[in-house]
Amino acid sequence: MSTALLIAAQDPKVHLTSQTRILAAVIAVGFMLMILELIRRNRLQERFSVVWFVAGLGMLAGAIFPGLLGFVADAMGVRDTNVALFSIILLLLLGLALNFSVIMSRQAAQITRLAQERALEQAREQARSAENGGEPTNSRSGTQA
Amino acid sequence: MRTLVFIPAWNEADSVAAVIADVRELLPGTDVLVVDDGSTDETATRAAGAGAIVASLPFNQGLGAALQTGYLYALREGYDLCAHLDADGQHPPAEVARLLEEVRADRADLVIGSRYRAPATDGESANGVGGDDYKPTISRRIGTSVFRFFLTLATRQRFTDTTSGMRAANRRVMELFSENYSPDFAEIESLQLAVRQGLRVEEVPVRMLERAGGSSFLTPVRSAFFIFKGMIVLLVGQFRPRKVGTER
Repeated sequence: MSTALLIAAQDPKVHLTSQTRILAAVIAVGFMLMILELIRRNRLQERFSVVWFVAGLGMLAGAIFPGLLGFVADAMGVRDTNVALFSIILLLLLGLALNFSVIMSRQAAQITRLAQERALEQAREQARSAENGGEPTNSRSGTQA
Repeated sequence: MRTLVFIPAWNEADSVAAVIADVRELLPGTDVLVVDDGSTDETATRAAGAGAIVASLPFNQGLGAALQTGYLYALREGYDLCAHLDADGQHPPAEVARLLEEVRADRADLVIGSRYRAPATDGESANGVGGDDYKPTISRRIGTSVFRFFLTLATRQRFTDTTSGMRAANRRVMELFSENYSPDFAEIESLQLAVRQGLRVEEVPVRMLERAGGSSFLTPVRSAFFIFKGMIVLLVGQFRPRKVGTER
């Protein structure tokens, strides 16, 4: 399949008007610019931006080469290119959501441990000052830190 | 042997001081730590006032995280034994002493106080809840039997009081729980985990009292969700890798 064919969108199964393609391309470019801006303002970390950039590029590629979509639909064995498009997007978003859940779990565990370390530090200090101050607690010496 | 008794407490200002006083009276020679799980009331100051060491989590993290904090403290400060009980006054410290005795005698690594297991006929405090006197609500009874069934299935060991918050443990358990403790499904998963790691887990019948303050957090809907979640947790737990190196 030549590039010319892809651009020309002669695939009979792809029904994209030039209007739709231009709109999609503009949205894709706008999306990527937004990502850049977020990174620039430190609102988004680079490591989380990669996947969004890839998504923007994919969108742009789909707009420029509509034949690509027909090719992918063929490869998936799906007759309707729209179904192929939506399935792919749905799966990607699902994967992304799962990825975020994993990240959230890890961060929740880290936050918990951080809170525990702080609480322990405080308790240790209190126990130590009670020992030194002769406060009648039952703590004995030999505290191992 | 240095012993730590820790009490997870979340907004238990009304009862925590009395529990600490009880523990200090009935378990002399032990250190008392209150893990204040982000309480918004006077829990921390009253606990400190009653002579306990206080570890305050900066925000509410759930019972599992609070208990883990206790295990971490016990492990790092070099305690040989530790035990924990609830802050609402349901758990008589005298019973905790019996649990600790089991661990001290090295008959088990982790000992659970069970209010359901028929007590040995030694005729101790008769005015408590436990054995045949204990009449739980229907949703609690369903939950209890479901957990009992699945935990027994998962561990091939008979457990009666799967959600008991009265336990005693040695350093093997501290090492395990300070690293692996589910933050939101602590009680049941921890039993499964300990058994899977080859630790000796034992139940001892105890008498429990009516709670001094606060009410149980269980409503029917919550119970159903709690049970459902517990089953998933147990199922997933069966596929967790066993850690090597935790030898008996």
